[in-house]
Amino acid sequence: MPTLSTFRKLDMLRARLREQRKSITKTVAICGGTGCQAACSRDVIDAVKKELSEQNFSEEVRLCVTGCHGFCEQGPVMVIEPGNTFYCHVTSDDAPEIVSRTVARGELVERLLYTDPVSGKKIQREAEIPFYMAQDRQLLSQNRMVDPCSIEDYIAAGGYSALTKVLKGISPGDVVSQIKASGLRGRGGGGFPTGRKWSECREAPGDEKYVICNADEGDPGAYMDRCVLEGNPHLVLEGMMIGAWAVGAKKGYIYVRNEYPLAVKHSRVAVKQARELGLLGDNILGSSFSFDVEIARGGGAFVCGESTALMASIEGQVGEPRPKDVHTVIDGLYHRPTTLNNVETWANVPAIILNGPAWFASKGTRGSTGTKILALTGRIKNTGLVEVDMGTTIKTVVYDIGGGGVNGNKIKAVQIGGPSGGCLPANKFTLPVDFDALIEAGSMVGSGSMVVMDEESCMVDVAKYFLTFLQDESCGKCVPCRLGIDRMLEIVTEITNGRGTPQQLDLLEELADTVSQTALCGLGKTAANPVLTTLRYFREEYEAHIKHKKCPARVCKALITYSIDAGKCTGCGVCRQGCMHKAISGKKKQAHVIDAALCEKCGICRSECKFDAVLVA
Amino acid sequence: MLQYVNVSIDGAIIHAIKGASVLDTAIEYGFCIPHLCHVPNLSDIGACRLCIVEHIVNGRANVTTSCTLHAEEGMVVQTNTDRVRNLRRNLAELLVAQAPNSRAIQDIAVRCGVRKVRYPFRNDDCVLCGRCVRACAEIWKAHAIGFVGRGKERHVDHPFSVRPKFCKQCDYCIQLCPMTITPCNGPMKPGKERFCGNCESQLIIAEETGGCSWCRLGEGFGCGRYAGSKAR
Repeated sequence: MPTLSTFRKLDMLRARLREQRKSITKTVAICGGTGCQAACSRDVIDAVKKELSEQNFSEEVRLCVTGCHGFCEQGPVMVIEPGNTFYCHVTSDDAPEIVSRTVARGELVERLLYTDPVSGKKIQREAEIPFYMAQDRQLLSQNRMVDPCSIEDYIAAGGYSALTKVLKGISPGDVVSQIKASGLRGRGGGGFPTGRKWSECREAPGDEKYVICNADEGDPGAYMDRCVLEGNPHLVLEGMMIGAWAVGAKKGYIYVRNEYPLAVKHSRVAVKQARELGLLGDNILGSSFSFDVEIARGGGAFVCGESTALMASIEGQVGEPRPKDVHTVIDGLYHRPTTLNNVETWANVPAIILNGPAWFASKGTRGSTGTKILALTGRIKNTGLVEVDMGTTIKTVVYDIGGGGVNGNKIKAVQIGGPSGGCLPANKFTLPVDFDALIEAGSMVGSGSMVVMDEESCMVDVAKYFLTFLQDESCGKCVPCRLGIDRMLEIVTEITNGRGTPQQLDLLEELADTVSQTALCGLGKTAANPVLTTLRYFREEYEAHIKHKKCPARVCKALITYSIDAGKCTGCGVCRQGCMHKAISGKKKQAHVIDAALCEKCGICRSECKFDAVLVA
Repeated sequence: MLQYVNVSIDGAIIHAIKGASVLDTAIEYGFCIPHLCHVPNLSDIGACRLCIVEHIVNGRANVTTSCTLHAEEGMVVQTNTDRVRNLRRNLAELLVAQAPNSRAIQDIAVRCGVRKVRYPFRNDDCVLCGRCVRACAEIWKAHAIGFVGRGKERHVDHPFSVRPKFCKQCDYCIQLCPMTITPCNGPMKPGKERFCGNCESQLIIAEETGGCSWCRLGEGFGCGRYAGSKAR
């Protein structure tokens, strides 16, 4: 394809692409995101492709392998247009039927339709599924339209028109003021106003400046950046170009962790395609603007998601944070002014330019505008990626979109924002997903992961899990993070082992407070949040562990015992056969007994027993 | 030419070199801020966090390390508030529980107000202050030792654990190491670690809170009383 040397050539290309696509009347969009690939969507894609060519549909039907649709629980998913037909849990064996019936004749394959768990009815259209209905999918809905490896798809869908608009007639200063007016705040965790960051970087002295896209997402349970970069890399690129124009940067980096092979691949393909079309390089679209992007792969350290550690990593240094008494917008990558934003932040930029800052500011709350993608995981029915307006209550997300707890279990808490965030109890679910409101409650929006916990989760164990994660991932540079987390974990482990004392609880609180105030980087400063919030909202669980030596959720192995209810036990012997530690004995058709000395408390007997005869206390 | 700025440290207006660290400035003027990883003429990394101060910006007090904070016109810094003392004490307690075999760290803990250690003692020989690593890299340009590993595994070692030829065994790293100053009664045996804090010089600070005790520790760590002779 020839390089686009003027704005007109881009418009002509877009018109030509749209003209070509007029003959295509039907689209089969199959999710090729990581979640669905794990559920074998690759096989489905191959099977559908084969069927389409065998049944001679290759000309009029477009098979679009897209990024993540969001409803990962139901994967592999596909949407067939026209008709907006949504099929879930598709297997490669279904392909012939889908092509011969739905694609060819518009008939429905009933068994592949989504069943609403509340009403029990089959739902045909994607738009009518309750999971999608309560959302406002500004970014994620674009994933469904485009093939991430095709710049033509993106251009035909109106891509790079925000860039054209900016280069044609919006000065860098105006771009910054538009972003400021939109109220966009950083989606990576801190919620720093993006416009302010850009204007500080723009005003910083120096000719050479950088923009960086932070795709080093490492929170347990978070994968929204992954899906945006995998599903629509050109959107992120376009946002970066606009940002680079605004701050005066000529060079950008996408720092993506190597554990995201698809994101690495797709962003590489996107950069290559953009270069070939002349959308990256010197004098983009005939303007004075020159910009290029390089992909930097991260080795998988959680700490490299911190801005200064990330920059050190790009420079080839050890990925460790450094003190930020001088901000990175003045002294960043290679000691030059640098604007670093999260994937989702960059992805929001083109829409703000196209639709205007007022449109963006009309969504969300006064302090937090726009939409936010949340990764809903844990003990909940509908797991997946959820995009809602800022200010939507946690309740709406958990119950209306998430569909409530698995097996109808009562939901106890939600852990928002990963290891940097905190656990909020059910009585705080009226809180909105809003930067300031959540910080006030001791948590934070963070990257946007939402891990749902029910009555079967022990909050002390949750705190222990996050501390173990953080202890592994702490770089070890500063004392409070390295030793503080280690000691907190030591205390929490003592408590879960039933050896805790009330004094330790006070010490834990004091230590957590010290870590949060004195740690070097943002990750260390927020590392104590899981402990602080569980102590704040679930202190009685800690006290039960310490005073009564009981784990209310029956999770902490040192504090529980397994026994068999002789009245309920039928002596079927399933538990005895299942027990790997040979702790269960008993004769056929007689009540069995668990030998406490041999029991490892794995819980297999309990899950195997059909008569609920295994008791945990 | 050096530029000077006016900085307020604990209420005193001080004529400081622009861009110099607040810690250097404070020490030069006799404000004793406890510190461990800071060594004059080496870069500051802010690892030990003992030199924390309150930096007041727009009425809000931010806790930050003074070694990485550069003096700027109109800056307001408090080195000795209750909040800072509490935090420093907790940090020193973590350090001394980790490495009780260093007289230097025992002394720092006493000076920071630790009276009792609430954590089980460990017998580590290194607190990862990085004095040796930076001295080797910055003064001798040798890079013969460096940090290896992350988090709990972080330790100081030669590249690939083999002493390279360019390590001339100058022992400068050993001279700077706080672990070389052993407690009065010699290194403690595993399981017998304790927090001593009984030295005479240290008892003075126990009575005069907030004052400088002219402890011998200051000599080794470049305290203003010994180095600059500019008394407060």
